[in-house]
Amino acid sequence: MRWRRRLGTAAVVAIILSTLVSCSSRAGDASEANCPVEDGELFVLMAQSVPSATLLPCIEALPAGWTYGGSDVGSGTSTFWLDSDRGGIHAVEVALTSSCRIAGGVDVTNSTSEGGVRVYLREFTLHPFSANEYFVFPGGCVTYRFRFDGDAEPTLALEAEEAVTFGLRTVLVQEIEQDFGLTLCGAGAPPCVDGD
Amino acid sequence: MDATGRTRGVDQRGRMRVHDHAGQRRRPSGEPPALPHELGRSGKFLLLMLLYFVLVLTGFLVFPSLEGVFERLDHGRQVRITDLRSPGLTRVMLAVNGLTSTWSIRLLRWGVIIGLVVFRRWRHLFVFLGAIILTEIVAYNASTVIARSRPLGIEILTGWQGYSMPSRPLAGLAVSAVGATYALIVAGRPRSIAKWVIGIVLVILVFARVYLGVDHTTDAVMGAIFGIAVGVAMFRWFAPNDLFPVSYRRGKAAHLDIGGRRGEAIVSAIRDQLGLSVLDVKPVGLEASGGSTPLRIKIDATEHEPERFLFAKLYAKSHVRADRWYKLGRTILYGALEDEKPFQSVRRFVEYEDYTLRLLRELGVPVPRAYGIVEITPEREYLIVMEFFEGAVEIGEADIDDGVIDQGLALVRRMWDEGLAHRDVKPANLMVRDGELKVIDVFFVQVRPSPWRQAVDLANMMLVLALRSDAERVYAHALTYFSEDEIAEAFAAARGVASPTQLRNNLKQDGRDLLTEFRRMAPAREQVSIQRWSLRRVLLTVAVAFAAFFAVGLVVSNWNAFV
Repeated sequence: MRWRRRLGTAAVVAIILSTLVSCSSRAGDASEANCPVEDGELFVLMAQSVPSATLLPCIEALPAGWTYGGSDVGSGTSTFWLDSDRGGIHAVEVALTSSCRIAGGVDVTNSTSEGGVRVYLREFTLHPFSANEYFVFPGGCVTYRFRFDGDAEPTLALEAEEAVTFGLRTVLVQEIEQDFGLTLCGAGAPPCVDGD
Repeated sequence: MDATGRTRGVDQRGRMRVHDHAGQRRRPSGEPPALPHELGRSGKFLLLMLLYFVLVLTGFLVFPSLEGVFERLDHGRQVRITDLRSPGLTRVMLAVNGLTSTWSIRLLRWGVIIGLVVFRRWRHLFVFLGAIILTEIVAYNASTVIARSRPLGIEILTGWQGYSMPSRPLAGLAVSAVGATYALIVAGRPRSIAKWVIGIVLVILVFARVYLGVDHTTDAVMGAIFGIAVGVAMFRWFAPNDLFPVSYRRGKAAHLDIGGRRGEAIVSAIRDQLGLSVLDVKPVGLEASGGSTPLRIKIDATEHEPERFLFAKLYAKSHVRADRWYKLGRTILYGALEDEKPFQSVRRFVEYEDYTLRLLRELGVPVPRAYGIVEITPEREYLIVMEFFEGAVEIGEADIDDGVIDQGLALVRRMWDEGLAHRDVKPANLMVRDGELKVIDVFFVQVRPSPWRQAVDLANMMLVLALRSDAERVYAHALTYFSEDEIAEAFAAARGVASPTQLRNNLKQDGRDLLTEFRRMAPAREQVSIQRWSLRRVLLTVAVAFAAFFAVGLVVSNWNAFV
């Protein structure tokens, strides 16, 4: 009977510890949104979230002072966010949707922009720094929502911009086809079982 | 054994008696007990499914190359269902899937919470909240660890959130529905029907979600099974029906269900192990009993005794757990005075009660005669059988004369002299028959108790006796058995929680301030502190406070599961 009690105690301790660990890990795996997109499970989910999107946002390299915050992926919207030691928690949120409302935004697309991505800026304030930057491309839109704490320098936004980049959905489609012999339904993939 | 096939023994008073072995038989090796412990069909199914999922999980996490195999396997199963897609059926499935929407689940959860608050069923409420939080946390974290995408190669026809395995909406709905069943629906047929309904609804939902392409088959089934398993395990462990029954009638419902297989097992076990032929088994005195299921058993006449009633108490593992919690609570509330080790098994429970019965009887205390212990399910359920005081009435309803007062006081004196304490002196445990006082329920009897405990016994006995007479009369009689200092000590020790709840309630209803009356008559004495501090008590209190804080933190941090 004694070993049963010990087993019971061990189970309770394990549950409490795993709960504690799980609570702290809710922030998300630090590497789950790292590029390249074909290496992460999160991007498969993102691609399913917005099947029309031809590009998927990912983290190239985080500058010093920036950390990965977590992700929230559901049908229609995929989001991940970054925390900054200067900009604060949730300083930048990166959201993938099929479209964005860019009415009233300023087109800030530069000449080096690739893949038909157009960039717009809206709701810009300096103190505290707050802005929405939209990257519009075929089948999708990625929004950077900058919400910095009081004294944070607006130049921090440039660091975040450099950290985040885009990966091609088609690469992921090929990867899934190769690994599982199945189709990642949506842009760049053959038609799937539909709802008819 | 004599020529008639009967053996001679010695009864509690030392006289030779004859055991009637008419129906008694020893269970041979290998033969199952009266009520074998076995998992039901649903239990076996649940266990098998859990085993399957543990294997799948291990496969996923330890051998990533297996992922492709599972994906293709699940895809093959899913396509067979999605091949049935048609506009009409899709509309139906979308409507059915509405049951797993956040709002449906919240509505169900809040309905149960409000119901439990209205019926003041706090324990069930906490278990319900705990089950939901545990399910949400484990399902969420399991899904992020497994990180399985939504079904591939199939268009998803409805909304979703996060990774797919296990299906969190199904886990959330299953635990809420099972929780509602265990917390609000009366055990027996109504609950059985509810379980079937939940099972059928979940099967339909699994089909709907697979049809809509939002979950793989494995995700959906795993979510549902996980939710059910957490709900069932939490309620069976922390709010077992035999101890915390769901009832909408006044008083407590039957503790352990003594019908069906258990009822048959009780009859056959008493026949085999005690050689007594049972005519009828009925629950009795459930209102005053929390630690066991009390039964009145009608026994057929034998060659030596007429048809009669016996009293029995059915103990199960849940009672051992309740005892453990009870003692933990007492240790935190009072400290060293109640610092005692809990029982570790049901066997120890019945052995101890049997021992106290025989000990007290040997010492001449008027307790029921012990007939013995009956094994129902080894290490899980035992019955302790004893004499039933037929015709006796509870002291609270009996006429008290000087003789009964003397018997009550002499009884405490005797226990003091023998180094014992009853520890549960209250009207429900004192019976009167033909002017004779009888003591029942000796489970709490302690050998070499603290002097405080003995003093409290005296105070409680005097209060019980005074409830049916008056303080002056009882005090005058008490002086025959106890010194004034001893009586003063008793009332200095007896404060509030030292008396059983029933006695405290009776004192309130009585209206007279009997405690003050006794204290006025006895010599002045400083009150005995009932609080004793020890390192163990401090550590236990801190641990429980931490656990409570942790639990509140969990509820707060998971509040989005409810609102």
